[in-house]
Amino acid sequence: MGVLRVDELRKSYGDVRAVDGMSLDVERGELFGFLGPNGAGKTTTIRSLTGQIVPDEGTIDVLGTDPTTAPIETRTRVGILPEQATPPSFLTPREYLEFVGDVRDLDKETVADGIDRWAERLGFGSKLETLHTDLSRGQQQKVMIAQAFIHEPELVLIDEPLANLDPLVQEQVKQFLTSYAAADNAVFVSTHNIDVAADICTRVGIVADGKIVAERSIADETSDDLLETFLNHVDDANARDLPSLERDAIQT
Amino acid sequence: MSGAGTDTPSPAQGQRGSSGYQQGRTGPQRGGSSLVGDGTNRLLFAALLREEWRLHTQLFGGGRFLSFPLLIAVLAAGATVALVETGTAASTVVLGLHVLALGFGLYSGTAGFAGSSMLENVFGGLSLVLGTAATLPLSRRRLLGIFLVKDALFYAVVFVLPMATAAIPLEGVSATTPVDVATLWLSLSLVFAAGMTVTVALIALRTRGVPTWTLLALVAVVALVSGVLGSASATLAAAQTLVVPQSASLPAGAGLAGATALVAAASLAVYDPTYGKPTRTAADQFARLRRLGDTVPGATGVNDPLVVKTLLDLSRSAGGVWKPFVSAGILLALVAALVGVVHEITGIEPAPGIFFGGVLGLSAFTTYNWLTQFDALESYLAYPVTIADVFRAKRTAFVLVGAPAVAVPYLAAVLWFEAALIDALVGALLLAGFGLYYYGLTVYIAGFDPNEFLFDSVRFGLFTVGAAVALVPALVAGFVVVPPTLDIALALAGIGIGFGAIGAVLSSRAGPKWDAEYRHE
Repeated sequence: MGVLRVDELRKSYGDVRAVDGMSLDVERGELFGFLGPNGAGKTTTIRSLTGQIVPDEGTIDVLGTDPTTAPIETRTRVGILPEQATPPSFLTPREYLEFVGDVRDLDKETVADGIDRWAERLGFGSKLETLHTDLSRGQQQKVMIAQAFIHEPELVLIDEPLANLDPLVQEQVKQFLTSYAAADNAVFVSTHNIDVAADICTRVGIVADGKIVAERSIADETSDDLLETFLNHVDDANARDLPSLERDAIQT
Repeated sequence: MSGAGTDTPSPAQGQRGSSGYQQGRTGPQRGGSSLVGDGTNRLLFAALLREEWRLHTQLFGGGRFLSFPLLIAVLAAGATVALVETGTAASTVVLGLHVLALGFGLYSGTAGFAGSSMLENVFGGLSLVLGTAATLPLSRRRLLGIFLVKDALFYAVVFVLPMATAAIPLEGVSATTPVDVATLWLSLSLVFAAGMTVTVALIALRTRGVPTWTLLALVAVVALVSGVLGSASATLAAAQTLVVPQSASLPAGAGLAGATALVAAASLAVYDPTYGKPTRTAADQFARLRRLGDTVPGATGVNDPLVVKTLLDLSRSAGGVWKPFVSAGILLALVAALVGVVHEITGIEPAPGIFFGGVLGLSAFTTYNWLTQFDALESYLAYPVTIADVFRAKRTAFVLVGAPAVAVPYLAAVLWFEAALIDALVGALLLAGFGLYYYGLTVYIAGFDPNEFLFDSVRFGLFTVGAAVALVPALVAGFVVVPPTLDIALALAGIGIGFGAIGAVLSSRAGPKWDAEYRHE
């Protein structure tokens, strides 16, 4: 059953077409990789999917809600891990997660349980009383991951899930995302990291010039296949800019 | 403090070769100058200046930024004409300009120090060049020194030079007008640089573990002792030299310039680039405040998580919850000094309630500024809240913080100046109404970024005109009818309520307005 459907989405900033005819579907149980180079339109798409901006054209259905006309309903139903760094906040992780729970109208017991569970899972239990602004960026990312899942949404939209995390926690987060999607939920991961997409996603949509240019089921692809597909579909300039080291590795 | 030791330039090195590592580098050179030589200083200075220019022109658009100095010039000259025509002494106007330049200098001195929690948010990662200390063999101290010199020159031209056009109406147009403007500019620039240097010195000492409050206490004690033990006239003359260099002798002015340069250099030497604030922890105040909101009838505001977050951010950032009180207190001191000067010159003392009520409402701008320094509107869009919800929460927080912050200095003023009861009551209405109006005006025009008033001529002009529409008639009434008659009092009370209503409308419309701006960008 579809949890996310986008049809012919378009969004321009002045003369720049950030999203230009984007169409995609995500089903329950999927961990969908939204893979593309910088500037391909990934963040603009996520902002449209969560009602942060209004697209110029196209239709969006997120868990039966329309984020363009009912953004609050959409954001109530989904979890969001935004791309931009969190601005300095003087709340502790415990207070911040209580704040998120309060805004999401969760009961206090659920929030308290969630805080303990997530602190243990991601290893920030010893930092629960430290001001968020004094945490390392990796610790801040862990807290942000926790806030995206604390209400156990059916769909989570994540921009670069593994940024700033140490390898051990990266592995834990990868395993968690995989199991979370498999439990009849869906996770939409935006990334420009081919290895991450190949490692955890069940299906990948390659984004270039504001639209999906190719879709691949990861079960049928190796990481190298995915890289080749990626390079074949992004435009020449982007291909030259991007993973030259990885291309060298393929050739050898 | 190990890094500080290696980072301190020796007298022989001056600003050159700032670390042992750098001194040993003799690699590829640009045009024959070493990487750490004077050529690099020029290169860095040019890069920082270019970055500053692009920052402002990108944020506001070239035309709006370029027209900002023109607007400052028009305002400075216009206000001077108005003040002189209404009987204000030229020396008072000059004093006021210097106080403004000093205050701006004190504020600007923090710009190079990303350690300040407010500035982390304001400037964030905007200065790419300033961040190169982390990636290139350049000392942070050296970069900071060049950054501050760049700031001093940039603001001296963009902000202080237009202020100096006030010399034209003060001195009249003649063959010496360019010299008059240049003299005032130099004097204002010197005060501006002195202000910057004081802030830099305080921050530098703080990086060595000296708390800011002890330094401020030391300054107060020195001033007090010199006032008590020393000659009053000598103390006054020293203060006059510090605040208005152009009125002092040439050696005194040169002495101030030399002292400023000396303190600036010493501050950079003392500054510890390795300083890091200790990690802070806190008990769960969020839950405590929310329980308060849920259980105490009338605890309006703290039943909203967005309000509680704003209050905690304010109270835990540098300076704590007292920041808005200090801002309002500074405004009170400035206005009280102005009242004293005007009374001394003209023999007229305004109705204190009306006068202070009208002016103190302006602290709404600084209070709102403090409430929006520590978050970003975009960050709330990950939650199921609207932009209008966020603005509504800021308004509640503004009332909770701003009301006591402005009521305390207002009560002090009406008691100190022995306001008549009717005057005090009307002033209180004006204070509440104008405060809400200035708040609504700020939120409607500037949204979540009141700091952007600086250097955006259109927004700055709109706010100035909007504030003047309310303030000027009230001030005139405050000077003309002392104490106010019942008719005047009723009329002014109506004006206060009317502007308060406009403010309420503006602030409630700000949410939908900025929601549309953000979502339809």
